[in-house]
Amino acid sequence: MTDRVIGFEHVSVHFARHTALRDVSVRLDQRRIAVIGSNGSGKSTFARTLNGLIVASEGGIRVHGIDPAREPKQVRQRVGFIFSNPDTQIIMPTVAEDVAFSLRRRGLPRQEIRDRVAAALDDFGLTAEADSPVHELSSGQKQLLALCAVLIGEPGLVVADEPTAYLDAANSRRIAGFLLDRMPQQLVLVTHDLRLAARCDVALRFEGGRLADHGEPGPVIARYEKDQDQP
Amino acid sequence: MISLYRPGDSLLHRMPAGPKLVVVAGLATAISLLPANPLLLAAVLVAVAGCYLQAGTGIAEAGRQLWRLRWVLLVVSLSQVFFLPVLTVAANVIRVGAVVLLANLITLTTRTDRLIDALERALRPLRRVGVNSDRVALMLSMTITTIPVIAGFAARIREAQRARGVTVSPFAAVVPLLVMALKHADDLADALVARGAD
Ligand SMILES: Nc1ncnc2c1ncn2[C@@H]1O[C@H](COP(=O)(O)OP(=O)(O)OP(=O)(O)O)[C@@H](O)[C@H]1O
Ligand SMILES: [Mg+2]
Repeated sequence: MTDRVIGFEHVSVHFARHTALRDVSVRLDQRRIAVIGSNGSGKSTFARTLNGLIVASEGGIRVHGIDPAREPKQVRQRVGFIFSNPDTQIIMPTVAEDVAFSLRRRGLPRQEIRDRVAAALDDFGLTAEADSPVHELSSGQKQLLALCAVLIGEPGLVVADEPTAYLDAANSRRIAGFLLDRMPQQLVLVTHDLRLAARCDVALRFEGGRLADHGEPGPVIARYEKDQDQP
Repeated sequence: MISLYRPGDSLLHRMPAGPKLVVVAGLATAISLLPANPLLLAAVLVAVAGCYLQAGTGIAEAGRQLWRLRWVLLVVSLSQVFFLPVLTVAANVIRVGAVVLLANLITLTTRTDRLIDALERALRPLRRVGVNSDRVALMLSMTITTIPVIAGFAARIREAQRARGVTVSPFAAVVPLLVMALKHADDLADALVARGAD
């Protein structure tokens, strides 16, 4: 399973006046990795270092054998990223075009792109919306579209930063079900929904930029809830 | 003002995007140079209406477009009505309206991707002077995607102002709108990088 190892060695991320990650070291090869912790604890920063959106100030990162700081292009092909806000990750005006956008720069013939887009849209139940302007979709459909557009690029790792934050219960369940149960890819799921974290294979808990706890989700979540209950 | 594609299979729908752009640009130029002759102007209006009928969107669609343009048309007429003969002012208003209606006809009958492909092809010769037509096309696409989002922000700000009982002034909305738009641009830039845009 060397092809799905995420390794952090003494990684720190400093912003101008703030340290968002402090000396994080961890090795992960589980399929589903939950990331929990209070607001501002460094979860998004951790997630963003995985595809090079944020570069570590100190230490070394390896994602499936790739160093995100040195090989940004390769890491972005390998790592798909889902943001919370469905509106900010859609780039093209119509559904099919947006999915096809992920395949540009792959040097594929037009017909193949069309076929693969059609198959992917079918997979996500978006075929009827193929030519719809994206702003006519519901938030749930937009997030499905974002997921579809990420998965058509065949990443090895999907990083999702609170992917259900903007969704109602039914759509949250759909997206979470896909990420946790249907998708074969490795998943890093940043979430405040501890029930989703509990369905993962391992949980990381950040506090104040440090990796405060990690291991079996059940106990990690229990300790987190206990700490939150104390004043 | 940008009304997106309505599917259909009229002559206008089937016409390739490049030639359609050229024809409409030619017509728009002709209309703006047209003498202020009532008969000619009436003919222009009939012709534009005919185009909308042909495209299968109906006259009502043209009416909706004009309604959205009401403020522009009002400003055009008010700024001239004291200085120019009424016929000239009417001619100017009709010219502006007709040109915008024609331009809208392109977006109504052409799929955005076709339109952008055509523009990209048209810009390709400029590559030698350093214009990256690929980039320009991407920028246009993103602009089209973003317009409804910004419009949504504006609507939300208006609602928030109403909810607090503030009298709705377009000027009071500018600052929050700018803040929201900049935040959106920032997030979109992240998404572009994450999706390997370059
Ligand atoms: N670009 C930046 N510049 C400066 N400081 C930043 C930047 N991004 C994040 N920070 C700071 O780093 C800290 C960690 O932020 P991060 O977004 O990783 O937290 P988080 O755990 O994702 O929080 P939340 O649950 O609210 O999303 C915060 O104090 C934040 O203010
Ligand atoms: Mg966050």
